[in-house]
Amino acid sequence: MSTYTPEQDALFAAYTRTTNNWGRITLFAGFLIATSVPFIVLATTDLGITMGQVITAFIAVAAVYGAFYVVEPLTYFPILGPAGMYQAFLIGNIANKLVPSAIVAQSTIDAKPGTRKAAYAATAAISGAAVVHVFSLLLLVGILGTWIVSIMPESVTEVARLYILPSILGGVVVQLVATLKQARSTVIAIVVALVVVFLVVPNTPKLVSSFAIALCVILTVAISWFTRHIGSGSSSDEEQTEGSLIN
Amino acid sequence: MILAQGTSTDIVSIANAPLLWILALAVLGVIVLQSAVYMKAVRKNAAGADMTQREVFQAFRAGGVAAIGPSLAVVLVAIALLPLFGTPSILVRIGLIGSAATETASASIAAGTVGANLGDSTYTQSVFLIALFAMSLSGACWMISTLILTPILARGQDKLTKVNPALMAIVPSAALLAAFSGLTVTEFPKSAIHILAVLVSATIMAICLFVARRLDQAWLREWALGFSIIGGLIATYIATN
Repeated sequence: MSTYTPEQDALFAAYTRTTNNWGRITLFAGFLIATSVPFIVLATTDLGITMGQVITAFIAVAAVYGAFYVVEPLTYFPILGPAGMYQAFLIGNIANKLVPSAIVAQSTIDAKPGTRKAAYAATAAISGAAVVHVFSLLLLVGILGTWIVSIMPESVTEVARLYILPSILGGVVVQLVATLKQARSTVIAIVVALVVVFLVVPNTPKLVSSFAIALCVILTVAISWFTRHIGSGSSSDEEQTEGSLIN
Repeated sequence: MILAQGTSTDIVSIANAPLLWILALAVLGVIVLQSAVYMKAVRKNAAGADMTQREVFQAFRAGGVAAIGPSLAVVLVAIALLPLFGTPSILVRIGLIGSAATETASASIAAGTVGANLGDSTYTQSVFLIALFAMSLSGACWMISTLILTPILARGQDKLTKVNPALMAIVPSAALLAAFSGLTVTEFPKSAIHILAVLVSATIMAICLFVARRLDQAWLREWALGFSIIGGLIATYIATN
């Protein structure tokens, strides 16, 4: 760490204050607007869904992602710092877009990780990535999206509608396995998934099969945790070094 | 389960209401506002980190350029999902926290709790709204958690980032692997075409990642999911037409 003058410390304090205050305000605004969307659809239509259905669906989703609500902020905080946290959790696409952008920018201006300059570079880079993110969504999805879908023949959209999910999942699973490099957890996850889908779901009441994915998660996490000393555990070291790249 | 109302499968008619468009634009506006405030803070206080204005601009531009590839890949997935959720919901869900994969998985899980599947005849307007609720509430939890945790973490940075590193190393990745393995295997009993889509997509991803590493082509890693999705859809189109 290099030493800074009191004037420089004052400037950095001003930067921290502005980004923290405005980061909280903008993230809260984004939260309010985004969360209001389904309530507005509910209020302006007559679809006859019950609160029970909504809660059941949310619990099923939260069973899968619930741990991430807490674990992801904890995991990314050492990488992003407070300013970056408010950017990243507003925009999303943290690992595939924002973090790579920040790393590219730091190497461009030769900012050493851990310095104030690196933190500033990350903030500027994520801002640049945010502009590209918003512009691409607005133009290609918002304005041209329906047109792009409309010029596609019916048979094409029908295939896209029916088979988009398996087409995404196949690639995502391979990417996850390749990125995480956790052979043991991967094998456990696949075996558990096969057992749950082909043995548990067909032989249990609807209530159980509704939570099939949650069951996969709980079983895989439990088995991975209790067998953690079997085989090598070098992946956590890799995560640690990667985790300190930005700030 | 039989739903009394909202049994029409015409999702787009309710998903494209003008008010939803306004909310979608507001959400994108919030992102632009945040970036503008942050950039101003960096430029104004650049000297505090021995940084020149030129370096601030270089960092901004480098970040923007690096984001082009991943952004186009996200756009590709977002467009493919338009018929399922309509444009405004897609802009809000994909534009804010949440990736195409997370949102699709959440919607699929939510639809499953009322015995429906995304995209087929069981995917009615009511199911769409239930899925939208589940996605929105899930995203809300992420944001609330960040709003609560960030100041706490900022206060006790050194201590709290060291909470049980072994657990932190195992739980998130095991949960991710389990969720996506489970979702993928759930596609298998549906039809041979579903299996084909999974296999083709997985194969293209594997090839892209292998080539990216061998020939050191980082861009290919960013584009890989887009190629996988298109490949999977082309294969299913050929198989069904």
